[in-house]
Amino acid sequence: MKRSFVTLSVLVLLAALAATWGGREWSLSHVRYFTGRQDLGWVSCYNCHLVTLEDQPWAKPRPKHDSPAGLAVSPDGARLYVALDDRDQLAVVDVASRQIVQRVRVSGNPYGLALDPTGKRLFITCKGGDRVAVLDTKSLKEAESIEVGLMPAGVAFCETKSGPRLVVANSGSDDISILSLSPFKEIARPAAGREPYAVAAARGGELAMVACRLAAAVGLDAPPSSEVTVVNPGLGRVVSRESLDSAHLSEGVAWVPSRSWALTPLVKVRNLVPITQVAKGWVMSSGLAVSDLGGALIQMPLDEVNDYFADPSAIAVDAAGRRAYVASGGGDTVSVIDLERLAAWLAKAGEREKEEAIDDLTLSSEYVLARLPTARNPRQLALSPDGKTFFIAERLQDSVLAVNTETLQPLGRIALGDGGLSDPIRRGERVFTQAAHTFQRQFSCRSCHPDGHVDGLAYDFDGDGVGDNLLDNRTLQGVAGTMPFKWNGKNPSLEIQCGPRFARVLMRTDPIPPADLQDLTTFLQSQPPARTVHRSQQGKLTESQEKGREVFFATHQPNGTPIPRDRQCATCHRPPLFTNRLPSDIGTKGRYDTTNHFDTPHLLGIAASAPYLHDGRAKTLEELWTVYQTNDLHGVSSYMNKHQLNDLIEYLKTL
Amino acid sequence: MKTTLASLIAMLLVTPPAMFALDAVGDVPFPIVERFENFGKESGIPANKVHCVTKTSDGRLWIGTWDGLCVREPNGQFRRYGPEHGLSHKMVLAIVEDPRTGDLWLGTMRGLSRFSAGKLTAFTQTSSGLPNNVVYGVALVGDTVWAATAAGTGAFNTKAGEWKIYDHNNTVMHEPWCYTVTGAGDLVYIGVWGGGIIEHDPKRGTFKEYRDPDKDFHFDLVPDDGPINDITSWLAWEDGILWQTTYFGFSRYAKGQWQTWVETRSPLPSNFTQFVWPHKRAAWVGSDRGVSVTDGKFWVNYLVGDKGEGLVEIHRPGATQPEKRTMSTALANQFVLGIYVDDTEAWFATSKGLSRGVFAKTKTAVAAAK
Repeated sequence: MKRSFVTLSVLVLLAALAATWGGREWSLSHVRYFTGRQDLGWVSCYNCHLVTLEDQPWAKPRPKHDSPAGLAVSPDGARLYVALDDRDQLAVVDVASRQIVQRVRVSGNPYGLALDPTGKRLFITCKGGDRVAVLDTKSLKEAESIEVGLMPAGVAFCETKSGPRLVVANSGSDDISILSLSPFKEIARPAAGREPYAVAAARGGELAMVACRLAAAVGLDAPPSSEVTVVNPGLGRVVSRESLDSAHLSEGVAWVPSRSWALTPLVKVRNLVPITQVAKGWVMSSGLAVSDLGGALIQMPLDEVNDYFADPSAIAVDAAGRRAYVASGGGDTVSVIDLERLAAWLAKAGEREKEEAIDDLTLSSEYVLARLPTARNPRQLALSPDGKTFFIAERLQDSVLAVNTETLQPLGRIALGDGGLSDPIRRGERVFTQAAHTFQRQFSCRSCHPDGHVDGLAYDFDGDGVGDNLLDNRTLQGVAGTMPFKWNGKNPSLEIQCGPRFARVLMRTDPIPPADLQDLTTFLQSQPPARTVHRSQQGKLTESQEKGREVFFATHQPNGTPIPRDRQCATCHRPPLFTNRLPSDIGTKGRYDTTNHFDTPHLLGIAASAPYLHDGRAKTLEELWTVYQTNDLHGVSSYMNKHQLNDLIEYLKTL
Repeated sequence: MKTTLASLIAMLLVTPPAMFALDAVGDVPFPIVERFENFGKESGIPANKVHCVTKTSDGRLWIGTWDGLCVREPNGQFRRYGPEHGLSHKMVLAIVEDPRTGDLWLGTMRGLSRFSAGKLTAFTQTSSGLPNNVVYGVALVGDTVWAATAAGTGAFNTKAGEWKIYDHNNTVMHEPWCYTVTGAGDLVYIGVWGGGIIEHDPKRGTFKEYRDPDKDFHFDLVPDDGPINDITSWLAWEDGILWQTTYFGFSRYAKGQWQTWVETRSPLPSNFTQFVWPHKRAAWVGSDRGVSVTDGKFWVNYLVGDKGEGLVEIHRPGATQPEKRTMSTALANQFVLGIYVDDTEAWFATSKGLSRGVFAKTKTAVAAAK
């Protein structure tokens, strides 16, 4: 009996071992067959199977919040309009009582606001609806609506000799819609810089300035520059393109009539300096571009030597041109700038001093009058018409703070919501946008990932020399389920990616506390992929895109030649996330790279995340195959003609 | 009577030479060039060879040269933009303005460039969907920029950011070497170097081919039966009329009817025609022997004599011989590569410099001036 039991046990054990060994062998052969790669070891089933888009955290319903976006004050100063993009609402606030008197439904994520001079019409950009709505402020009913470019953000009203015009920054399609009001139609759509975001009228409406957030992709080793696009709204034309050299992330712009200055907050970026060299040059800083729109442009610092005010966003200037207010979304501060002192410094400074001003953080004390603390994430500002009050949209507090401009003391807070702190996603976004987690509050996660996306730059992550070993910044939108992370694929989870090592290398402070880290990763996983297709075109493929889809999923060349499995697009970029989450060698190893295998990025929203490849060498999707393809290692593309390549790219734009 | 006669004599004495010219050609239904003003390297143009010329809606003159794009500043100086400013290649072959945004689209020997408010952006065959880097002709139709290239015609929808390619793979054109493209209302005409003319209706997605019916390269066997030749060097459309230049003659197409001209049977001075600019239903044609202007009946040829003098030939309908004159000035060079004409003046891009054609005053203008 005992012997039988032992025998049976041994047999069961052997059978189990055999089954395990056989299963492993089958698994390996399965993986190697379907990837075409013999170098792979054991791979989790989840790399290729049991994944759906519907199961991703970003696809699930999530709590909505009363996050204030654009602000506008009625000409009589009695009403404050607040766009609540997350709620699809506009809040109408009685300024005297600081109470919401009405909430109006506006579909499509209302974001930017502009009033006509009479205050009778409120123009609302709907970022998710790709449209501009016109609200009758008396009836609070939507009177008109017009389709514009992708993801309109900022809007400004301009009175021109040719009649009233609206200038709309289409942040997703890199262009500007210039609209006439009677009739209400688009008269021109000139190209802007990359990601146009904020708009302001200048010279009495004769001009409008459009601040663009991102720098155009420039390839390896070149410093980036972003753009303020200046248009003539009457003619519908671009009149100048002001270049913000080595600067980006401008989310506000203002005109100072009394000085004929255009003021643009910016982030001075030093991505070609090794990021490990904190005390020797690396660190992004906040600044303010002062331009006469005639070619003279000076970048002035907003930070202090040992204290930074990260993520400058909105700017407001009083009518007299005495003061400018700049919100620091990461520093929970509004900086008050004395423009007379700034003008005095500019008048006495030599050319070289002006040129180097942005790097001298001692200068800000010459003209920064005060730093006003705010609640979380001040992002938008508005001044009352009499100039006595300014309003600060505290986006992640669901509130608007009213401040007396003379005393610089708070007048009171307008509560739009409860702050949403019971929602881990909201808590995580507060961590994401908070510069307090970095040394001297130098930057936040958002400083490199605006709205969770990319800043379009490649950074020198190693100390091997200036600009020698760049790594492309990757989007966090659609990141859920695409582990491992980093280009070398070494971080198996977001918790590790954003954990202690990250704190040592980048933040140079104590790591983010575990509870905050958990919230942060929850927020990151809630970020949906970037939308790259206009609302009017969603849900259907054009003929070209359909042909491109066939190219993407092709297993054979048109002449019948089989495409090896490891060179088929869909093998590595396997739907639905368009990644198999495995490192691949696509022949892109650079001079200073220590490996030839790089993580396979997901392709969701790929059209909006230029540049491409691990070091950002490809400025456009086309260049992946026309310039940086090596021996058909990055998919077999040598058989493609230009029609097929164009079709493939049109398809990729839909992902 | 005596007073009238005295007035007439006095008027003849004080009237400037332009008036004589006007009186002599007053029956010609399009402007007459009275003299040429020439600009070369000594004027600040960076190269002798000027490929194209246009005036934008803000009144500024732009030229594409062998060595860059130039704009003529209000002070008359030429300001150059080259590859160091972002131009895709120094040789600029075509310039067209987007009338709604004021942007310029430039065809160059290495890609398409956009010039917008002083900033140049390059679109090449490797960085964009452009079919080929050699861009001979550019046209703007609505939101779409059309680029005629050495490997098909590319259509770039500026709103959608989408490229489409039209070539021998997906249209009726039998070869991809496209020299020129022009908008014509709802239609687009593509000039194919050895393949005649392709008429494309973008809304319907249809293509129609116009070929030389006699299929003879060197002789126009049957006049007015179709395009003069398949070797289409340029196309231009205005007010319902399509004009075609070829290396073997010149054609006009309107309301389903073709008209053709060759040098042996018409006042056309040379069969080698490579550019046409229509203005108020008259065609200004550039050839290797100068410029011809015609409305299909009248012809005025501006030629260069052996000694470099300007020659004018005025061919009137029904007249057996042309009226010939000598001008005090001539085109900078007889090989005319590009033309721009408006109501006030004409500009000519030539293989050795740029010329401005100053118009003789019209009867009405003279009367108004008086």
